Amino acid sequence: MDALIPFTTSGSLVDLVDKKVLVVLRDGRKLTGVLRSYDQFANFLLESTVERLHYKFEYSDVDIGVLLIRGENVVALGEIDLIAEDNLPFVEIPLDEMRDKLAAQEKRRERDNIVKDKVLGSLGFVSDRHEGDAY
Amino acid sequence: MLPLALLSAAQGKPMLVELKNGVTFNGHLVDCDNFMNVTLREVYQTSADGERFWKMKEMFIKGNVIKYFRIADAILDQAAEEQEKNRALGRQRGGGRGGRGGGMPGRGGRGGPPRGGQAGRGRGGPGMRGARGGAGAGGPGAGPRQA
Repeated sequence: MDALIPFTTSGSLVDLVDKKVLVVLRDGRKLTGVLRSYDQFANFLLESTVERLHYKFEYSDVDIGVLLIRGENVVALGEIDLIAEDNLPFVEIPLDEMRDKLAAQEKRRERDNIVKDKVLGSLGFVSDRHEGDAY
Repeated sequence: MLPLALLSAAQGKPMLVELKNGVTFNGHLVDCDNFMNVTLREVYQTSADGERFWKMKEMFIKGNVIKYFRIADAILDQAAEEQEKNRALGRQRGGGRGGRGGGMPGRGGRGGPPRGGQAGRGRGGPGMRGARGGAGAGGPGAGPRQA
């Protein structure tokens, strides 16, 4: 079977259909769900999608449901190992707690960036946005 | 069902569209095309920070600025059922008329297994000839269908 399908987007993703997958988006979001279909643009149709928020070794899940993702925004797609998934060293925390922590982290980051820009600016470097650690 | 097929099957249904810049639109889908351009009706727009809201009667979104659509769970099931029904209908009619593919314009649905496939691999010797036989297999398989 493999020999008949050339290595293209569509050829290499066919095995992942109806499997639980992780999708990373360009805005840094990590989504898990069941890959129901895809096309030549790597548009994905995910069912029972969950967005997972991470902070250090803690996480929270947000239910999303059916999601149709435009391919342009996708960074990576991978199948989830259902056995390994049960042995992750992460602990789940309540969603509102997570949101507070992430907001605080974002605040610290913004503050640090102002200092960073000042130092870099004095050395002749220009930075207009900070998205390097988005994913 | 292809992602864009679901989108066109979801016409008239409520959905959430998020743009690449984080702005979201809640509304009912009026129409869409193959570029993922969409028009929505009765739209609530939310700013990227989630703090400001606007309401609009009808609006158009160019496909290339879209990040994703959130669609109600039920619509996926409904659309899949609908497609299955159409496919069965097309099969019946196709058989009676003597062999044109599915009822939907543009797509013949999924054909059976690629017909050229096995033959191409069996007949063609090793090397380029065999490879070309294999590559061609997808074409005819997707076209005319066995009723």
